[in-house]
Amino acid sequence: MTKITVVMRTYERPVLLARAVASVQLQKFTDWELVIVNNGGEPAGVDAVMRTAMNATPSGSIRIIHLSERVGMEEASNRGLADSDSEFFVIHDDDDSWDARFLEVAVTALRSSPNAVAVVTGVTRIYETFRGGTVWPVSHENFPLSRGRLTYRGMIGGNTFPPIAAVFRRSLITTVGSFDASLPVLGDWEFNLRAVSAGEFVFVPERLARYHTRTAESDSASGNSITIGEDLHRDVKLQLQDRWLKEAAVNGVNKGELSITAASEVLTREPQINTPMVHVDIEHIANRTAEIIKLQRLSRRIARSVRHPGHGIRAVVGAVRRTIGK
Amino acid sequence: MTVQLSAEQVLDEHPQASVLSIDFFDTLITRSVAQPTHVFAVMERDLIAARGDFWRGFAVARVEAEQRARHNAASKNEYRDVTFDEIGLQLAIGLALNLPDRDMVMALERETELMLVEAVPFGAAITQVARSRGMKVVIVSDNYMPAAHLTQMAHRAGYSWMTETDIFVSCEHGGMKHNGILWPVVLSALNVPAGSVLHVGDDARADGEVPTSLGIATYVRDTMRTSHRDMINTTPTVLPLSRIEAQYRNAMDDTHWDVAEVVGGGLVAMIVAAQVIDAHFVVGHRSVAGVHFAARDGYLAHQVWNTLRSRGWELPEATYTAFSRSVVWRACLSELTRDNVGRFVGDDEVLTVSRLERRVGCALDSQLDRDAPIDASTARDIVLENTELVLSACKSLRARLLKYLQSHEVLMAGHHIVVDLGWTGSTIADLADMVASESGDLAVLEGRLTGLYWDATPQRMRIAMHGFAMDEFGSTDDNVRLLGVIKLLEALVTAPHGSVVDYEEDGTPVFVETAPELRAYEAVMHQVGDAAVRGALAILDGTHPSGITAADITNESVWAAIMQMGHSPRADEIELLSQVNHVTSIDHEGDGRPLIAMAPDDPSKVTLEDLPGIYDTLMHRHWMQGSLRALASNADSRWIADEVNKLHTMTSLRWVK
Repeated sequence: MTKITVVMRTYERPVLLARAVASVQLQKFTDWELVIVNNGGEPAGVDAVMRTAMNATPSGSIRIIHLSERVGMEEASNRGLADSDSEFFVIHDDDDSWDARFLEVAVTALRSSPNAVAVVTGVTRIYETFRGGTVWPVSHENFPLSRGRLTYRGMIGGNTFPPIAAVFRRSLITTVGSFDASLPVLGDWEFNLRAVSAGEFVFVPERLARYHTRTAESDSASGNSITIGEDLHRDVKLQLQDRWLKEAAVNGVNKGELSITAASEVLTREPQINTPMVHVDIEHIANRTAEIIKLQRLSRRIARSVRHPGHGIRAVVGAVRRTIGK
Repeated sequence: MTVQLSAEQVLDEHPQASVLSIDFFDTLITRSVAQPTHVFAVMERDLIAARGDFWRGFAVARVEAEQRARHNAASKNEYRDVTFDEIGLQLAIGLALNLPDRDMVMALERETELMLVEAVPFGAAITQVARSRGMKVVIVSDNYMPAAHLTQMAHRAGYSWMTETDIFVSCEHGGMKHNGILWPVVLSALNVPAGSVLHVGDDARADGEVPTSLGIATYVRDTMRTSHRDMINTTPTVLPLSRIEAQYRNAMDDTHWDVAEVVGGGLVAMIVAAQVIDAHFVVGHRSVAGVHFAARDGYLAHQVWNTLRSRGWELPEATYTAFSRSVVWRACLSELTRDNVGRFVGDDEVLTVSRLERRVGCALDSQLDRDAPIDASTARDIVLENTELVLSACKSLRARLLKYLQSHEVLMAGHHIVVDLGWTGSTIADLADMVASESGDLAVLEGRLTGLYWDATPQRMRIAMHGFAMDEFGSTDDNVRLLGVIKLLEALVTAPHGSVVDYEEDGTPVFVETAPELRAYEAVMHQVGDAAVRGALAILDGTHPSGITAADITNESVWAAIMQMGHSPRADEIELLSQVNHVTSIDHEGDGRPLIAMAPDDPSKVTLEDLPGIYDTLMHRHWMQGSLRALASNADSRWIADEVNKLHTMTSLRWVK
């Protein structure tokens, strides 16, 4: 069993794919298996890129899965994972890249934190223009990440990091299930929330992941799903929040309610993953969200007590008994 | 050439002196690294190894902590020096260290200083001669380390006679040599007149001007400073080059600082060693049909490879294969259009018909005087009017090139590696296409390159490539920095012959010799190349006097070496390379462009609107940082370099993140 499976979904972007594969091949940590999932694209193009890539001095191993029809991104990820076995896995988008130390550092971090379910490294966001088969960087910025953004409360308001930055334990899939294939986008966010409910995400601040974003001047075929499908992202986010609103509350907190509250806080104070970055204190936002929820719960209790005085008295008596009991 | 005085000669020139006062750091003792801050790089390396990644970036934090401590000390009392404890406090603040960790790193710094210290030969000689003549010898130093620690360092360096009372260090006396306060303290403690003291040190002001003004005889000897660079670029990856340069500094202390030897034996030797190490790695890990060192960038490595084979290393035979951007492009040319004719004639070129004929490889039908100057537009029209002739010439060039490749077994079935410098990989990708096409996909090329920058990405669809020191996955800033040093590296890693422009019918390559390149080779590059081959061989067979071995030649250390010289050059390196021109035209004729860009005739007439164009020119056509430093060294043009630095912050000397 290899130590880590790298699942790379691709669709008709051979130049970017070639770069992404090279970024995996250059890793100092060599016990990996790369599973390319050609998501319904022309097989010949992917095969040609891979033939060339395999001519580089090999480390790890590479397999290609050609899907005859295009499926959702998450379904493609699940196919890649189902066809492999490893202790850890990572979803490497075909337009992103890593520093050569990414896997080495991530695996070391997971080994030294046996209770953690994932590790996320710091991210550099690179804006690049892709035209006529040539890609060139325009600018870069530090992607804002902190330990707070990797907690449940930090993540519930919106997606806080791109897949390229995270390595997961494969055992998570048994615990929380695989990616939700019904989601056309934001499947990573939805999965991350389930994952972080199951265990801690370790944060390595060193910026070892590179999240490449095409500028508006780029050829449309090269665009990021997030920048060319902003409306879709908004729609899916609302659908997810609707779904969560219907779920039972856990410890008195409804996931959908929490997400909406956190998202509104975030929207007013923090740009999302698909907008230019401004540094914000996500831990402050998360704490503030918790305070709001606490206050809302308190005000609901007070309102209930006013409407039903008997309930209020019983609640006070219960609280006194609990206190005495302690 | 400056010939240094011997210890006896210095003392003989000052017979009145009964006391020898000597500076401590870089006069009496030095360290086995190129500059004082590199001690912190050694510490960072050891801290990471022992305690993990938290300590990454320690060395820069240590440099910055000292700067802050000095600033704070000066704001309270402009005369006194900073203390080691004050630096420790700032370090603790900067890195958020707890008390035990702060004490641990301060103890480690003292231990590391003791581990790296060595005597400066001149310092050892002059103190020995002075003592033998009955002179009192004392140390006068501007430093933050207490006398007790300096005594330990002196003992470790072999000065066993030294005691704490022989040492006057600024941090213990409320004043410095530099501002003159320390000197009266010394004279008073020794109870001698200024005229009976001879002071020897390495700082023109602190060890020269100031004591001289007080009546003390002085001798300034700054040879130990020759290897210093910008101090902020302090990180463990600089240590291999640092140790090599330190070894040169010590070896050349009594003679003169031979810049060409140091550049060749330092940066270039590391690159050449890396080329060989990388090729060796590939042949050790997969079946390889051929190893081909590209002319001219693989010339030095090919020599080293062959020498190692002759010494019994188990290496396959490797070819030295001549191809160039221009011949490969022409050999692949199948149609000529307005869009691609520009590759024959640059936008700003002035040619003649006869020179144009040499470029396209055939006689051209034209009514113009064959030796009359013609502009680029006219030249392109002539080429297009002769499309059939030109394409025919390209076709026959392709046949000759293939014959040559056949003779070098590049078309033989199997996996071949081509060792070259880099940078976009487009020429090797073109060659790979041709080889694949001619061999029926049986022969496959892989590019093993020193560096690749962002433009290499599309080539990855055509050829497998590896950039040893750098690839397009580096930061945007590093990609641009690489672009700024490409011309430098191509000038340094070269061969005694010119670039290939054609092949004889039997496949023999035709090299074009240009006067500027020949001049540069005679004046500088042959010595650089000789030193590089010697240095690389010593590194690879484990006999390098610095102790650097193949294990030290890593991707990161080679990148650091490239950045140390290419991005934070010393003035002597810029001066040495100011005599080099880079010939880049497709026919490799003409005078080319100087590696160090000429300053504008009248810098005062340059406007702010001109700056983006100047930056672009420096970046693409010259050695960017060498040119900027040259501009900065002249009072009239300094403002241009300053403005470029402001507009493009990655052009600052700092390259360590």
